[in-house]
This record gives sequence, C-alpha cells and structure tokens, in this order.
Amino acid sequence: MDADRWKQVDGLLQSALERAPEERDAFLRNACAADRALESEVRSLLRAQQQAGSFLENPAIEGAALAIAQQHTKETQADSDFLIGRAVSHYRIVGKLGSGGMGVVYKAVDTELGRFVALKFLPEDLSRDPQALERFRREARAASALNHANICTIYEIGKHDGQSFIAMEFLDGVTLKRRIAGRPLETELILSLSIEIADALDAAHAAGIVHRDIKTANIFVTKRGHAKVLDFGLAKLSLNDEGMDLNASTKEESLTNPGTAVGTVAYMSPEQVRGKELDSRSDLFSFGVVLYETATGTLPFRGETTGVVFDSILNRSPVPPVRVNAELPPELERIIGKCLEKDPNLRYQHSSEIRADLRRLRRDTDSAQLAATAGTETSSRIKNHGIGIVVAAVGVLVLTIGGYFYLHRPPRLTDKDTIVLADFVNTTGDPVFDGTLRQGLAVQLEQSPFLSLISEERILHTLSLMGQSSDARLSPELAHEVCERTASTAVLDGSIAGLGSQYVLGLRAKNCRTGDILDEEQVEVARKEDVLNALTEIASTFRTRVGESLVTVEKHDTPLAEATTPSLEALKAYSMGWKVVASRGGDAAVPFFKQAAAIDPQFAAAYASLGLMYGSMGETETGTENIRRAYELRDRASDNEKFFITAYYDGRATGNQKKAQQTCEAWKQAYPRESMPHSFLAGFIYPVLGEYEKAAEEAQKATELAPDFGVGYALLGFNSLSLDRLGEAEDAARRASERKIETRDLALLRYDAAFLKSDTGGMQREAAAARGKSGVEELISDHQAFALAYTGHLQEARKMSRRASDLAQQAAHREEAAVFETRAALWEAFYGNAPAAKPEAMAALTLAKNREVEYGAALALAIAGDSSRAQTLTNDLEKSFPEDTSVKFNYLPTVRAFLALNHDDPAMAIELLQAAVPYELGQPRSAQTGFFGALYPIYARGQAYLAARKGAEAAREFQKILDHPGIMVGDPVGVLAHLQLGRAYAMQGDNTKAKTAYQDFLILWKDGDPEIPILKQAKGEYAKLQ
Amino acid sequence: MRKATRPEHNEAGTSSSREVSELLQAWTNGDRGVLDRLTPIVYDELHRLARHYMKGERSGHSLQTTALVNEAYMRLVDYKGMQWQNRAHFFAVSAQVMRRILVDHARRRNLKRGGGVPHVSLEDTAIVGGDRAADLIALDDAMNELAKLDTRKAEVVEMRFFGGLSVEETAEVLKVSPVTVMRDWRTAKAWLYRELGGTTDGR
Repeated sequence: MDADRWKQVDGLLQSALERAPEERDAFLRNACAADRALESEVRSLLRAQQQAGSFLENPAIEGAALAIAQQHTKETQADSDFLIGRAVSHYRIVGKLGSGGMGVVYKAVDTELGRFVALKFLPEDLSRDPQALERFRREARAASALNHANICTIYEIGKHDGQSFIAMEFLDGVTLKRRIAGRPLETELILSLSIEIADALDAAHAAGIVHRDIKTANIFVTKRGHAKVLDFGLAKLSLNDEGMDLNASTKEESLTNPGTAVGTVAYMSPEQVRGKELDSRSDLFSFGVVLYETATGTLPFRGETTGVVFDSILNRSPVPPVRVNAELPPELERIIGKCLEKDPNLRYQHSSEIRADLRRLRRDTDSAQLAATAGTETSSRIKNHGIGIVVAAVGVLVLTIGGYFYLHRPPRLTDKDTIVLADFVNTTGDPVFDGTLRQGLAVQLEQSPFLSLISEERILHTLSLMGQSSDARLSPELAHEVCERTASTAVLDGSIAGLGSQYVLGLRAKNCRTGDILDEEQVEVARKEDVLNALTEIASTFRTRVGESLVTVEKHDTPLAEATTPSLEALKAYSMGWKVVASRGGDAAVPFFKQAAAIDPQFAAAYASLGLMYGSMGETETGTENIRRAYELRDRASDNEKFFITAYYDGRATGNQKKAQQTCEAWKQAYPRESMPHSFLAGFIYPVLGEYEKAAEEAQKATELAPDFGVGYALLGFNSLSLDRLGEAEDAARRASERKIETRDLALLRYDAAFLKSDTGGMQREAAAARGKSGVEELISDHQAFALAYTGHLQEARKMSRRASDLAQQAAHREEAAVFETRAALWEAFYGNAPAAKPEAMAALTLAKNREVEYGAALALAIAGDSSRAQTLTNDLEKSFPEDTSVKFNYLPTVRAFLALNHDDPAMAIELLQAAVPYELGQPRSAQTGFFGALYPIYARGQAYLAARKGAEAAREFQKILDHPGIMVGDPVGVLAHLQLGRAYAMQGDNTKAKTAYQDFLILWKDGDPEIPILKQAKGEYAKLQ
Repeated sequence: MRKATRPEHNEAGTSSSREVSELLQAWTNGDRGVLDRLTPIVYDELHRLARHYMKGERSGHSLQTTALVNEAYMRLVDYKGMQWQNRAHFFAVSAQVMRRILVDHARRRNLKRGGGVPHVSLEDTAIVGGDRAADLIALDDAMNELAKLDTRKAEVVEMRFFGGLSVEETAEVLKVSPVTVMRDWRTAKAWLYRELGGTTDGR
C-alpha cells in the first residue's frame, strides 16, 4: 500500500467513524463507489476498530508487570504446592491459605494438639539474614506473649529445612479492608470492632510493642465478628535502615528497592512520614485512619501519588467523617479527629483512652435505643455480615500477609446450655479472694443474654440431695457433680495463685458430660487492684470463646469494677450477702449488703440488693429508698442489673407500672434467658393493671426460665386465683412442691386456695406448718386474721392480727406490722366500729408510714368520719407519689369518693371514681403487700349509687365484686358486697333477690360476733324484708 | 542501585530522576550504552508494579494502579526538574527507551522459557495482561511495519502505549492538535489490532 492509498483509507475510516454507526454502511458504499478493494480495506479496519476495545489502552509497563506477577504466582505456587501433605515439625500441611509479600501461608494441623494452625514461611532472603532473623524472633516472642483475644496469637517460631516459619492462630473471616469494601460499616459494628482493636493496641502498647503498620488489611474480622490484629511485631521486619516503613519484601523485591505503595502510606502517621522515631502514639494515628475508613468507607488522606498522600497526612485535614456518612454519631467524629491529630502530643496518648471513649459512646447509643430496639434486629444484621467471604480464585494473590481463611469452628455452648460456677481455688493465702471472684464472675457472666448460670437455689438444693451442707465450698469436684445432677452442660472453675508479687488468674470450662475442656484462660495480674479488671477480661474472652456472639458480648460487657465495685472488700461483703440470701434468707443478708454499701457508697448493686431484700420483707419504703439510691447509681451496674434496677424503680419506687412494663419488655428482649422481667410483670405490673391473663403467662414463662425459683410458681398460682382458676393455682403449688421448693409465698398460695375452697382443714394444715417459721408465721397469721374477720369473728381476728403484728415487729419489720394494723383499722371502719377504727389507724401510722399504710389509714378514717385527717393523708399521697399507678387510679379516687359521701355528694363521688375505671379490676399495691384494696373503687361506686338511691346501678357494681372472688380472696369488702347487693335490690323493691343476698351474708356471718354494728344493721334490715 | 533509586518523596528533582534525565540526555546524544544503565531503573518500576499486583490489587484499571503507573513514569522522567523546551523531547526519548527496554525484557523472558509460547489472543492480553511477553514482540514488529506506512501513527502508539503519555502530551511532542492524535490513535489501534490477528475476518 502506498502512502496516498493509505491516506485515502485513513481518511475514509475517520469519516466513517464520525458518522453514526447505522449511516456508515451507506457512506462507505457511496464513498468507495467502484473501488471494492478500498471499501473492503476500510471495512476491515472499521471492524478491527470496533473490536479493539481496550487494546493498548493500558500502558505497556502495566501489562508487562502483570505478566511478571502472573509468572511469579505460577512459580511460587509450584514451589509452595509441593509442601502440601508434608510434615513440618509437628505440623502436617493440609493446604495453602495464600501468599503475599511476606511469604507463603499454609493451613496445617498441629498433630500434637489436634488443632488447625496457620503456618507462615518467611521469604528465604529474610531467613538467611541472621540479624533480621534475630530481630524477627525477638519481636515474635514479644508478640506471642501478648495473648489477647483480639490479637492473632503466635504459637511458635520454628525452622524447617533452613526456612523459618511461624505457627499462629488459624482464623476464619476476611480482612477489615475487604469487609469495608468501600462502604461504611454500621455504627454498632464500627464500635464493637474498634473497641476490640483499641483493646488489642492497649495490650500491645502496655507490653512495649508498637505495631507500626496498623491498617485495615492487617486487621482481620472473624466470622463471629471479632477483630483480630495481625502481625504484631512483624512490621519492624520490613523497616529499612532509615526506619521508613515500607512495604513487605518479596523474592522479586530483593533485587530491587522496596518502594512504597499508595495503599500502605495512607495509614502512616506524620512522624512516620518524616522518618522519625516512633512510639505507640503513631499506632493511634494509624488506628484513626482505620476508624475513619471503617466509618466512611474511604481513606482520610488520599492522592494519586505518594507525594500527594504524604502532603495530605502532613498538612491537610480530612473531610469530616459525618459529611461522608451522615449516620455517624458526632462523638465518633470527635474521637476520630483526636486520633488524627498531627501533633502526637495533641492526640490520644493511650489506646485505653480511645477505648473508654468508644465504650462510653456505645453505651450512650445503646441506652438511646434501649427502649425502642429489639436485639434481634442487630443480631440478624451481624449474622449476615459475619459470613466469611472465602476467596477461592485459584492462583490469584488476593491475600495480604494477614488474610487467612479458616475453618468455621462451631460454637461450643448453645443458648440452651446451663453452667455451674465452682468456687475459685485460692492459693494466694489472701482471704479477700474467697467467694469474691466467684461472685464477680457470676456478675460478669450474668450480663450475657446467651449464657445461663444454674441458680444458687438449685445448687443448694442439689447439695442437700447430695448430703452436703448448704455452706459447703463448691470445689471443682463438687461443682462437677452438681453439673451432672442438674443436667447442666459445663462447669466453670477458676483459680487464683500468687506468683511473686503478682497473681495468676485462671479459668477453665469443662463439659461435665464429655469431660472436654471447652475453654481455658489464664492471665497474669501485676497488682491486687487489677484482679477484678483481669476477671472482666477473662470473662469476656470466655463468653466469646464458648460461642456467644460478639454483638451481645460487646453490648453487655460492663467491666466488673464498673458493674459492681472497684473494691475487693466491698465485693467480698456483697458476695457473702448473696451466699447468705441463698442459705439463710434476706434478713440475714441485709447486714452484708449494708457493709458493702458502707465500704463503697457508689456500689449500685449493693443498694439494689438491699432494696430487693427490704421489699421482699414487706419493708417497701425502706426498700424504695435503697432502690432510689441504686437508680441514681445505675450507670455503675451491669446492663442486666441496670434493667433490674430501672424496672424495680419504676414498679416499686415511682410506681409507674406502664413505664415498668416498657422497661421489662426491653429487658426481655435484651436478656431472653432472664426470668426476672417475667416475674416483675407477673408479680407487680400486670396485676395492678388488672391483666391477670398476661400476668399468668409471664409467670408461666418465669417458671420455665427458672424452674428452681419459687417465685414463678407462686405468681402463677396467685394470678390463677385472680382468674378464678383454682385448679391451676393448685397445680402451680404442686409443681413447686414436686421440685421440693418451699417459700412463704407458696405457703400463702396454698392457704388462700384452701380459703377460696372453704377448705378449713387445708387452712389449718398450712397454719400449723407455718408455726415457728420466722417470716412465714406472721403472714399466715395475718391471713388467718382476715379469714376470721371475713366470717365476722372479729374478736379472734383482732387477736390474730395483733399476733401477726407482734411477730412482724419482733422481726423488726415495722412496715409489715403497720400494714397489718392498717388492715385491722379498715375492718373496724367497714364494719361500722368507728371508735375502734380511728385509734387503730393512728397506731398504724405511728408504727411506720408507707403509701399503703397512709392509704389504708386514710380510707379507714374517711369511712369512720374523720374527713379532715383523711383529707390530709390523701393530699400527702398525691404529692409524694404523682406517678404511682395505684395511687393515681385507685387510692386517691377511692378515698375522695368516701369523703364526698361524707359530704352527702354521691354525684361527686361517682364523678371522682371515673378516674379509677381503667384499672378498676386490678390489684393495687396494697392488695399485693397488705392484702386489701382490690376492687375498692367499685365498692365505693356501689355505695355512691346507694346514696344516690340508684339501686340498679349499685347492684351492678356489687355484683362485679361478687363475680371475682379470686381477686378479693379474704378482703372484708368481698363479704360486705353480699349485704350491699341486698340493700341495692331492696332499694329497687326486688325483695326476693334482696333476701337471697342478705342470706348469703348472714350465713357467712352466722357465728359472727353479734356486737358488730353492721351485722346488727343487716339483721334489722333483713327482718324488715320478711 | 537500591540506594540510588530509592524515591525521595515530596521533593522535586530527586537524585534518581536527575540520573534518569542525564541518561536520557546521553541517549539522545547517541550514547546507546546508557541503555544498560537505564534498563535496571525501568525494571525496578516494572517489578514494583508487579508486586503491587501480587499483593492483590489485581484490577489493572483502578485509580490506584493508574496512580502507580503514573508515578513510575514520573520517577523515570522528572517533568518538574526539566526545562520547558526539553520536556517534549524527553517525552519522546523516554517512550523510545521504554519501548526498547520492555520489548527486550519480553524477548529475554521468551528466551528464558525456551520459546514455544502458546499464542494468546490479543483480547485476553488487552484485558488481563495474558501472555504479554510474546505480544510485545509481535507488537514491536507490527509497529515497525506501521511506521513504514505512517510514521506519525507509529510514534503516537510509541508515546501513548510505551511512553504512557496522555493525548495532550503526545500532541505537544508531535506538535499536532490533540484531535489529530486521537484520530491517529484510533486508526493505528485498528490497524495494529488487525495486524496482530485480533480480527476474525479472513483478510
């Protein structure tokens, strides 16, 4: 082809290309007219042009480099594949995990320990350099001593055929870089991973090791969502003489200059860029870059050339992360900013500070979501992300040095398993550790929504079956037997030993059926004050090792010193307290909890425990004071305890049951294996709201979650009674006794069930069984008193009530005694004994004041005609307990209705009682702690209708009361409803129905004291009906 | 060598690129012996890039790779340190040198493996690199053929493909408009593609 011809071809080709594709054909046909050869040539080039695509578009050097890379890959693969199947020391190589700058990594089986390891062979040139090798060994030794859950563990440094290798932990997952893949992670995951990374850095820095090459490609995210920092101590290997951190070297590289890749320089600290001496703060800057990348998906300092990146690191501020990812909490931006301070002195100085800030942030984000979020959402989210991406592309060198891909290890425990905690074996000779560490560990593990510890009740119960005393020390052997007998899965035994001035804390989990060691942790502690922190650490590691997901571990992992107390002595007293609760009851435990609170006045759990103890003794106001204090200190409690404190505070201190209900719902979500929220809902929340069906369901759930805990059965029984399901109540009591569980609530349940069945034999049996039993006898006596009063045996009832009150006062239960007396005052008032009612009410108030006593006394005084005193008490109640559901919806309207009736204003009374309508079938607090007050608003409304001469309306109200005997049990209003119903019918002129109602009352009171005014009135009225 | 070529970041006119400039100057002056001294410098960059691929940044089209390649060229030819009038000249010379070195490199690799390299389609080569060694030799031959037909088009390919120059830089060297460079580039690509057996039609 000559030059002219070529010009023609070129010109036609260009002209054709300038035309639209569909026009080209016609153009060429026309332009070439007769010259078929010309047309063919141009068409051929046109086709070639269209097919050429990216041909030659990438510079030659790029393709040449790629060819070298592929060649190298093939060669190294051929070199390295031959090792597969061979034995190296006591490892058998089973496959290759990857290779990269620092050598080839294999997956191998440790034939001695039977576990998988990752074996990394160093490049030959490094292996041959004795100086480099020594440095490597020194660093690897230091790094292997780190032993941290978030640092890839180095097991061994060995040599095979002159090549050095490192045996290290085999991990399953992907590098953080790959996990990020250009997109920001969710805040929750950012926080959980970065807290772990910060923790790893903290441990390394404390050991004097600076990583020098912290980057997302050096951090591994395991399938379970944990961060693992790789290559601690190895980075120094790739430092050249000038101290510049350069990329890893390869065989290829050994001929040449190590150069710098843009990907790596982006994580360098300013001092690293300047080639200065590095300290741990350089890692913190790099960590800041990692945080930024995790939070935004992009790097803070970017550029097309190393120079631009360096300039950016040295002189520029990154784009604020929040602008890249609007969902980030501003606090995270602040933390990142502080990491990325150019001047090391302005940066965070220690990794622990970052960790603390991140934890605080997580806590705040968590608590913000607490009420609203369900744990399930987050756990399913993490599940999706946790799936490791196995890079299977054969021959593709996708792995950086740390990218190992590992077998998935199945969780070792499931959320169905239960654990027995043995006492720690304490060989330090320091008694402060006795009991303390076990309690501390229990607090730590109870934070876990995943794990479930066998209850102390169950352990005591099992010990008694084994013929052991209740205060026997739970040695590992004894714990093992308890584990087997309770069909639990694992025994956890711990130890603490002295090692010079240091301590060694150990923890071992053993499957008590198979004998398999599930996990073993050991940590050295320099100072006694650090033992609790070490325990926290060990417990968290244990939780993750046995299979709990990272999300819940991170979410509920308040350090022990924050969850309980930093004082070992206070923890010791607290531990003793709980030991005593289990063996000798709440009264005996109170002094221990008081002591714990005295040693550490900030000890939230100690106050919460006191609150619970007092509450269960009937000392509600004393309990409330303690629970208020616990509530103020609730940030110094574990998440589970925080829920407990908040729910108890809502339910018992402020008395806002709707709020308590919400708290318990959130609690249930966060801790699905915890029985307490169910007990709270069944015990004092749903009954107040009158939702007995739901209460019974929650109680049933509580018995399933804590089958050795009496509370669930008792609550199931009482709520079944309220639903008038006597058989189910008796079943619940039977289920408890089959498990040999005995509590005073269960005794009461059986007594009340017998009462509702008019089974006097059963009632007497319970009363006889209770005799001499402190805590039980006074309550049964009180119930005996109400049973007597119910049938008009007022003299005997008064005596029995006095006895109950005396017993309570002997036990220093003043509030309980006051409630008993309040109830006695109410009988007198209801039965028309105003002169007896007033002093009784005043005596109760003198004994102790709580909202039940004030309410009962106010009501007794109102009915007895002392309006002014009743008024004062009522106003006081309103002012003191503005949120209390019982006060607002029950106490106030009831007392004020009676006061209105005193002023002959039934319309006003009816109006006031409107407020009570929402929960009028509920059992207010007074019905739970004092066994009076249920359906009083209905009774008051009935009275008001009678006063208003509205017989039909009055009858409807009294009938409502009579329709719910199980709610009323022995309340005098339950029996008076018969009489009032008679009066209502009589008012309507329905003498037949009236007579039946009067008879019902008079039959119940056939042996009643004839002097009781209301009985006299009833008899008189009945006579008139004849 | 290792020391001499170590890049000093963030400083214009580094010793290594000054060294390259001097060598290129000598090349221009007819000293063919300097090729032996330039070759290892180019190899350094080549292997540096190769390591980059081995580390997993496989895609040849990522921004980072482009940046790396640019850096490689920048280190070889120090733009900033050069006088303006020399700039175009150096572009041209460095493209020539790159072509020589890379094609020689391919020949050596070919030799090392004892020839008998199976043919790999250009499509593969262009996209994934493929067996570029063999094709660089074929390309070099085809470019010589093209030069006989249309010298400027062969030069455009040399500068853009071997020299890593942009359209504008190539236009500057050849003292033509960028549009002309684009046109030349299109035709040359099509011609070479067909010449190397890329098209399926039975011409």
